Amino acid sequence: MDESQLIARVRAGDSAAERALYDAHVDRVYRLAFRLAGDDALAQDFTQETFIRAFDRLGSFRGDAAFSTWLHTITTTVVLNGLRKVKRFRQREADIDDAHEIGVTQRHAEPDLKARLKQAIDELPEGYRTVFVMHDVEGYTHEEIGAALGVETGTSKAQLSRARAKLRVALSDFAGEWTT
Amino acid sequence: MMDQHEDPKFEKWLKNAAQSYHAPRTTPREELWARIAAERQRKHVIEIRPWMRWAVAAAAVLILGIGIGRWTAKQSNGTAVASNDSAPSAAPGTQVAREIDSLAGVAYQVAATQYLSRTEAFLTSFRADANRSANTARLARQARELLTTTQLMLDSPAASNPRVRSLLEDLELVLMQIALLNPLQDGRDRDLITEGMNQSNVLPKLRSAIPAGPVSARNQGAL
Repeated sequence: MDESQLIARVRAGDSAAERALYDAHVDRVYRLAFRLAGDDALAQDFTQETFIRAFDRLGSFRGDAAFSTWLHTITTTVVLNGLRKVKRFRQREADIDDAHEIGVTQRHAEPDLKARLKQAIDELPEGYRTVFVMHDVEGYTHEEIGAALGVETGTSKAQLSRARAKLRVALSDFAGEWTT
Repeated sequence: MMDQHEDPKFEKWLKNAAQSYHAPRTTPREELWARIAAERQRKHVIEIRPWMRWAVAAAAVLILGIGIGRWTAKQSNGTAVASNDSAPSAAPGTQVAREIDSLAGVAYQVAATQYLSRTEAFLTSFRADANRSANTARLARQARELLTTTQLMLDSPAASNPRVRSLLEDLELVLMQIALLNPLQDGRDRDLITEGMNQSNVLPKLRSAIPAGPVSARNQGAL
């Protein structure tokens, strides 16, 4: 059965078809949510919200684009909005913690490459980080990224290029890793 | 032509190294499916509530109608016998109807006042609650209970008064937002709800709709 038939059955209220559609896409949705959120509980929340919205709004899916493209548009919207909420919440909590820790100095060990790379990716602007994670980490094409984020393919390419340039500067201490 | 920023060696290395970034575990398919199914079921229950409200209202009217019919029939029979002995001072049907209206009015006002007082106490407590996420689940449950009553009130004759309707609609919105609070991520949402309450002056409006005195005595003037 092809995907358009599956979608038609879901619209007709077939719960087995719902499960089959979920099974076909859940890995990619969860992986992207996890890569962007970096937290299993958040990734599960975002995946849950994505599928609930997708099933609720399946009637508005016209089939002009692939179902996966439509689903990833929902995924990125849910994840990015959710992460903005979490960031605001954590910022407020951090402000409170900082107020309690004034005068306390901390020493951090020199981080290794993995930790530095993580920190460098985390510090990218949201748009750059999203494109970088989708393209270089999860293997989405620029066309898929453009459709999911509602931007031109050229914008996606430009953001990826800027993301890589920033990472290259941030990781310059480790240049020997890729020049040898 | 190669872009000045392009460096195939670096890009290849970066793609490889970045696989460690937020590396996901195996998708918890069954767990997620169970959560999605439960949440959709819960939403489905909320979505059919408008239909249920009409059904409940229709059933209440039907039961009330049957009750009134039976009662007035008994009263009429009794009065018909009595009327053989002496002439009534007023039309018996009209008198009974007035008594029923009066009793129903008092009962309704007591219920309405209790509902308004409970809602006021709840919203005051919500706004002042400093112990945030610990109480979210309890607050959401209480909000759902009050929301059901609010929606029944919106379908009642009281809502034909524009001032009352406006108040009930404000309360419905606030209670719905509290009922849907996520215990894990409610900090910002709570602030938004409180801001909305302040902007719409919902608590002052609510307080002015509640008659002064203890609840049991506030059976006049509510709504």
